Amino acid sequence: MPAIDLPDPQGAPSGGAGAGSGLAALLNQVARGDADAFDTVYDQVSPTVFGIVRRVIRDPAQSEEVTQDVLLEVWRTAAKFDPGRGSATAWVTTLAHRRAVDRVRSVQKEADRERRLATAAIPYDEVAEAVEASLDRERVRRCLGSLTELQRESVTLAYYGGYTYAQVASLLGVPDGTIKTRMRDALIRLRDCLGVSE
Amino acid sequence: MSSREREAHTLAGPYAMDAISEPDRVRFERHLAGCQECAREVASLREATARLAAATAVSPPPALKERVLAAAAATRQQPPAVAPAAAPRPWYARAWPARGPARIRLALVTAAAAVTAVAVLLGVNDGSMRDQLSRDQASSQQVAAVLTARDATMKTGTVRGGGTVTIVMSGSMRELVFTAADLRALPAAWGYELWLAGPDGDRPVTMLPAARHGMAGPVVATGLRPGDHLMLTAEPAGGASRPTTPMMFDVVL
Repeated sequence: MPAIDLPDPQGAPSGGAGAGSGLAALLNQVARGDADAFDTVYDQVSPTVFGIVRRVIRDPAQSEEVTQDVLLEVWRTAAKFDPGRGSATAWVTTLAHRRAVDRVRSVQKEADRERRLATAAIPYDEVAEAVEASLDRERVRRCLGSLTELQRESVTLAYYGGYTYAQVASLLGVPDGTIKTRMRDALIRLRDCLGVSE
Repeated sequence: MSSREREAHTLAGPYAMDAISEPDRVRFERHLAGCQECAREVASLREATARLAAATAVSPPPALKERVLAAAAATRQQPPAVAPAAAPRPWYARAWPARGPARIRLALVTAAAAVTAVAVLLGVNDGSMRDQLSRDQASSQQVAAVLTARDATMKTGTVRGGGTVTIVMSGSMRELVFTAADLRALPAAWGYELWLAGPDGDRPVTMLPAARHGMAGPVVATGLRPGDHLMLTAEPAGGASRPTTPMMFDVVL
């Protein structure tokens, strides 16, 4: 996080769109200790944070705990958010996903692992099921559907399953190097398909 | 690109999804520090993973909000520009040990003043020297303006290969003052070149003047844009229009 606050002529952070740019401004207020702004930030981001945390961790009680940690981290470190390095939404979801992954990797209980092994392979279908309400979800579903099977499995196991690329490679019986490049290719394709502005 | 670099480069996908072991993460973050293109790619891939996360959105139990807001009220916030202990450490934070600004600022002011003082001591008669002097004075005025700007902030960092860098920047002026100390001596006909890099590509700032008493600069960079990086490379003495050697220093401003 730079200490330097360069004025932005557009007044909008790069990568932010719609509610995203509002979120960047709100984070700026949160960084200055604005509790009302944090209240609004909570309303805007908690469904996504809780959603991805629960998807990765599965256990509802642990997911709530980690969601609370993530939102507190948003409060604590809002000053670190740097609009020059990505959208506010990406900043928050990166915090959330990393925390969730850290939690499952530190726990790694055998029973838990097996349960997740059994369920991790199906998130694509879950996404498909959860579609109806949201155009955004529909678009994600469609874009996931446009990937090759290996790309899609790599992304869903890694991102929704919380596995490392080496674990994904071993689950799918594919060399590490192949999985690494498939993951990158898949995200590039998703990015382009989703029309994500950088 | 070396095979090692290419290999590190393919970790962008796993890294953006946190699908990476701790040693790999450390290795890739080291690679990111010198690879601006990779940093941009990771940022753009994370916009895609953010959408994957958004597709899972579901409201948490209402009681959670009260707990979070209560906990926040009892939690002290971190000030800007200090690497958080628990949060993921940004890759560029490593290069910035904290330093008291007063001392460095004094050093910069002294250096700027010295430019003028040296010229005065030498006695300036011939035309070329007079031109040089007026340029130096203009530059020391520019330096002083940045150093005394109300929003001036300072950073220090280390240069790969040896040396330290001090930057004082004013966001409102969109200018910065750069000095380097104890840079490794380069072969004859080579020098250090300073660059700004942003979304529109790399812009050469200037060749650093030869070091005096171990100190190169101060030089002023103007026209900073949001998201710019400041970078340092070794280049042929005449300067290059694009960086041709690996970054020895790279920081997001």
